[in-house]
Amino acid sequence: MAEAKIKSPQPYTRARVRSTIDWTKYDPGEFYDEIISAPGRARPATRSLVAFMRKQTIKHLVSRQQAADLAIQEMGITFTVYSEGQNIDRSWPMDIIPRIIPLQEWRVLEKGLIQRLTALNMFIDDIYNKQKILKDKVVPAEIINSSPDFLKQCIGAHPRHGVWSHICGSDLVRDGDGTVYVLEDNLRVPSGVSYMLENRAISKRVLPQLFERNSILPVADYPSQLFDMLASLSPRRVNHPEIVVMTPGIFNSAYFEHAYLAQRMGAELVEGADLVVGSDDKVYMKTIRGLAPVDVIYRRINDDFLDPEVFRPDSTLGTPGLFRAWRKGNVGLANAPGAGVADDKVIYTFVPAIIKYYLDEDPIIPNVPSFLCVNEQHRKHVLKNLATMVVKPANESGGYGMLIGPASTKKERALFTDLINKNPRNYMAQPALKLSTAPTLCGNNIEPRHLDLRPFILQGKHHYVTPGGLTRVALRKGSLVVNSSQGGGSKDTWIVDTEAG
Amino acid sequence: MLSRVAERVYWLGRFLERTENTARLILVRHNAILDLPREVQADWEQVLQVMGSEQHFAELGATANEKNIISYVFGERENPSSIISSLTSARENMRTTREILPSEAWERINSLYLSVARRSQKDLPQSARHAVLNNIIQACQQVTGLLSGAMNHDAAYQFVSMGRNLERADMSTRIIDSASAGLMGDSADVSPFRNVLWISVLQSLSAYQMYRLNVQRNVSPADVLKFLFQSTVFPRSVAHCLHEIETCIASLPDHKPALQVVAHVLHELNATDCSALAGESLHEFIDELQIHIEAVHHAIAKTWFRHDEK
Repeated sequence: MAEAKIKSPQPYTRARVRSTIDWTKYDPGEFYDEIISAPGRARPATRSLVAFMRKQTIKHLVSRQQAADLAIQEMGITFTVYSEGQNIDRSWPMDIIPRIIPLQEWRVLEKGLIQRLTALNMFIDDIYNKQKILKDKVVPAEIINSSPDFLKQCIGAHPRHGVWSHICGSDLVRDGDGTVYVLEDNLRVPSGVSYMLENRAISKRVLPQLFERNSILPVADYPSQLFDMLASLSPRRVNHPEIVVMTPGIFNSAYFEHAYLAQRMGAELVEGADLVVGSDDKVYMKTIRGLAPVDVIYRRINDDFLDPEVFRPDSTLGTPGLFRAWRKGNVGLANAPGAGVADDKVIYTFVPAIIKYYLDEDPIIPNVPSFLCVNEQHRKHVLKNLATMVVKPANESGGYGMLIGPASTKKERALFTDLINKNPRNYMAQPALKLSTAPTLCGNNIEPRHLDLRPFILQGKHHYVTPGGLTRVALRKGSLVVNSSQGGGSKDTWIVDTEAG
Repeated sequence: MLSRVAERVYWLGRFLERTENTARLILVRHNAILDLPREVQADWEQVLQVMGSEQHFAELGATANEKNIISYVFGERENPSSIISSLTSARENMRTTREILPSEAWERINSLYLSVARRSQKDLPQSARHAVLNNIIQACQQVTGLLSGAMNHDAAYQFVSMGRNLERADMSTRIIDSASAGLMGDSADVSPFRNVLWISVLQSLSAYQMYRLNVQRNVSPADVLKFLFQSTVFPRSVAHCLHEIETCIASLPDHKPALQVVAHVLHELNATDCSALAGESLHEFIDELQIHIEAVHHAIAKTWFRHDEK
């Protein structure tokens, strides 16, 4: 550097000014930005990131992004997309500019997430047992009775600790005024946690300086927290319960994650055909030493496919007799079958009431105002305001079958009017939020892109919340769809303690 | 350990070894041909013979010239024994057993796969051959080294090792068989170069240097055969590979029947007088040996992979 200055100070300085990152040009407009409070001004927790980037040239950032992409490719961090009749293994898209949340704010969100999952688990346990909440008419019984996710086979079951959803991924979004809402809960087989962990590994590789200068909560603890939680579900009181991760196999979009978690926990990764239920109604796995008992199954396979004796008889992914073994308390299943009854998008609208009912507390994190199309008044409101609303089918995930009002065409709105009128129970709608943004490297520019956050919450004997979670970002300009199957990317999420030295 | 996982890592060991051996085969052939006088026809078809792919290659309808044969053996996905196919299978087996293997080994094989996949879309001209093939050989050895140095030497490792040694023994017999077909004949235009060709057989198995160290005589067919079949010190000799498999088997549960099979093969192999093997009798001996090796594979599969047959 010194040498360059001596040789030709003028051109060097000019080139430098021109190509470093100019935050005053970055403008998120009407949206709340996670990093910048006003053009050129960092938020308190993001000061060090913004200052660091101010000293970087775009070229430098792009080369770091390339280093990250290469690392992702070589580490084989992939997700699988089903497209044009075949499965394609794609590299995981990660933007290197992190998303930052101040610790003080996070502490509140963490409490809110635990509150929410605690209440939801009490709700599920009640629904499959005494149904007090229905008798007290806090939740209408017909909503449960008409729900395809209410599994009659589960009535009367008592999983350990009264917990049905042990691993929950709740999607959080921030609106224009800065309020954080829960957009939805995923109580069945939420995925993404391995990408959260890998994103951190990558950003430590490519941005080590920032980790030195900031006090960022580590996330690497998750696999051991998961292991402990699963161990707390073991029906056998042994020191080393046999825990397995059950995957539908290599063609599942989240196979990478299944293998990853099994590896990090030191658990066996099993497929349905590796397991067998004995005449004693206990679960065994086929090993090179013969049959070995299994205590807890972290299953990453949907209820439908779990056990062909009870659910879909054509399923070749599951294990016959598994449900029976679980009902008899001979094996722990995480998450328990039937837990999906509470992440129905219609039930979602009752969650604040559910929290109040079981915990006698007000929800710490609010719900997005929601309109149930089954309710006539609500339906009218939705149909009238389609252009400003987001319409979701009650039981789909992955961002499929949605209508995003502000981005929709007249034809699409007509189609949804039809769909809603035909099957109102199946739809709910919310006003389109002004999803917050964060600076994202797009080609050779830094531009605002919309994002959400999926923290993961564990509940067994105890609770645990990942510090941060998986930030998903819509890479297309103006887009609100963050799902990786639909062109979304991701960011590392930093919970930054601004009060630490 | 799950039977399914055991089976996959066993095949990982086999495909990894096959990838390396195939690269070595092409490289040695390439070097040997450069040594032959110009009037002797460069025989690339021998590579197809070793791999048992002559018929399949003919079915694809390409002319059997150097360029086509190398493309077929290197980058043709239609060819189940090509380098790219073996590597794809090795990677797929590793990808589905990642949870028990050191992640560095996966990263190495994955990056090798990506580079070979890119390379395989182009020809492999003479000038690039050495660098590309050598890189494959080295990467395979790195993976083997990573597994040996960074993985618990538990049951999973024994399965990888059995796969590797079984594949190695099989490849050794194939190379000797194919070479002998050309060498034992009386074809006059080959005889002056017999020595060069025997040396190339040894080189195909990375055996030349070790042979010299161990045998300390000039290259003679009987010595070479004895070395490649029966040496107890050379890690690519058939007997050594089978000994390794025997040790692995003995460390696994319920090993009795499989152990008997491999002990029987070793006994037969060691009782053979290599100086009496030539021409047709050598070919028959190798045929029988390959059947024995196949029997070892079936014994392993039956004992540890297949629960239904027990």
